[in-house]
Amino acid sequence: MTATADSNKPAGTGLWLVIAGALALIAGILAAVYLSAPKTLTIQSGTLLQQPRALPEFSLIDQDGAAFTREQLLGHWTLIFPGFTYCPDVCPTTLAMLKNVESQLGPRAEQLRVAMFSIDPERDTPEQLKRYVSHFSPRFQGVTVAEPGLRSMAQTLGVAYIKVPGDTADSYTMDHSAALILINPRAELAGYFTTPLQAPALLADLKQIIDRTP
Amino acid sequence: MIRILALALAALLCLSACTPKDGSPKIDDAWIREAPPGATVMAGYLRLHNPSRSTLRCDAVDGPDFGAAELHRSVVENGQSRMLPGQHIEAAPGTTAVLEPGGLHLMLFRPQRELRAGDETTLILRCGEISISASFRIDNRS
Repeated sequence: MTATADSNKPAGTGLWLVIAGALALIAGILAAVYLSAPKTLTIQSGTLLQQPRALPEFSLIDQDGAAFTREQLLGHWTLIFPGFTYCPDVCPTTLAMLKNVESQLGPRAEQLRVAMFSIDPERDTPEQLKRYVSHFSPRFQGVTVAEPGLRSMAQTLGVAYIKVPGDTADSYTMDHSAALILINPRAELAGYFTTPLQAPALLADLKQIIDRTP
Repeated sequence: MIRILALALAALLCLSACTPKDGSPKIDDAWIREAPPGATVMAGYLRLHNPSRSTLRCDAVDGPDFGAAELHRSVVENGQSRMLPGQHIEAAPGTTAVLEPGGLHLMLFRPQRELRAGDETTLILRCGEISISASFRIDNRS
């Protein structure tokens, strides 16, 4: 009886040591995972990349005919909206919503730029883009570039597009990615806002993103 | 027996008198989004009430202020924004068909005059034998 108790005691202590060691290891792993993970921000209307992706150099033309390069994305957030002006439903509805969101951002709007990225350079000349975007907000920009620059920029941004012929040569339409692209102040692709876009959710997300800018 | 006959007769009479009258379809909340200057296409929206006893199907639209007009639908499929031509509006008896931004809309080509917010223009929906005319207000709602 006594002999049995004595032999059990060291075995019990060993088991506890193993359990304590295992718990410490798990705690250590959890702490390491927690500390090494970037502080993630969750948004309602899209997805933020865990690791923002640096953009390569590119060259587009803006609504004034000036060069629009990677440099123009530095120092502020940018929301890029792929579209085309020969689109009377979704494009103006989205721009009107973005105008609404912009005005509700108040002083935070200073830290955000909105650029329509036309995937239809054939019809969207800088003049046409200027007339179009400035109808919604004097701060909105319109950018595009002829092929093959367009294809390469679209790939960089993760934008797909295809021309769909119409009844006449100039009545074609364009299918294109519906998501808005978010670029951070270091000119890195930071995330996407996906459809259906709702102004209140987008506004809340943008406020959060702007306020958390380091 | 007489009572049953009377009830049946009353029910029969009610079938004709109690069901809603064959009302004529009506359009309301008809508007066209104000387009940027120089735009060659605009989009129109509306609500079409069908109080009649038959399904209403409209597959054409026209108006004096536009070069051409069609029915289109905007859709997002696999993240791609697309526009489908050759659509129609359908309203079952007693229902309302709704055309609003981001879905079924009137695609209006080549405005014949400058249409600014507050202006009005007339469009006519062609629904088989029936034509329904409505005044559309140019609006820049968001």
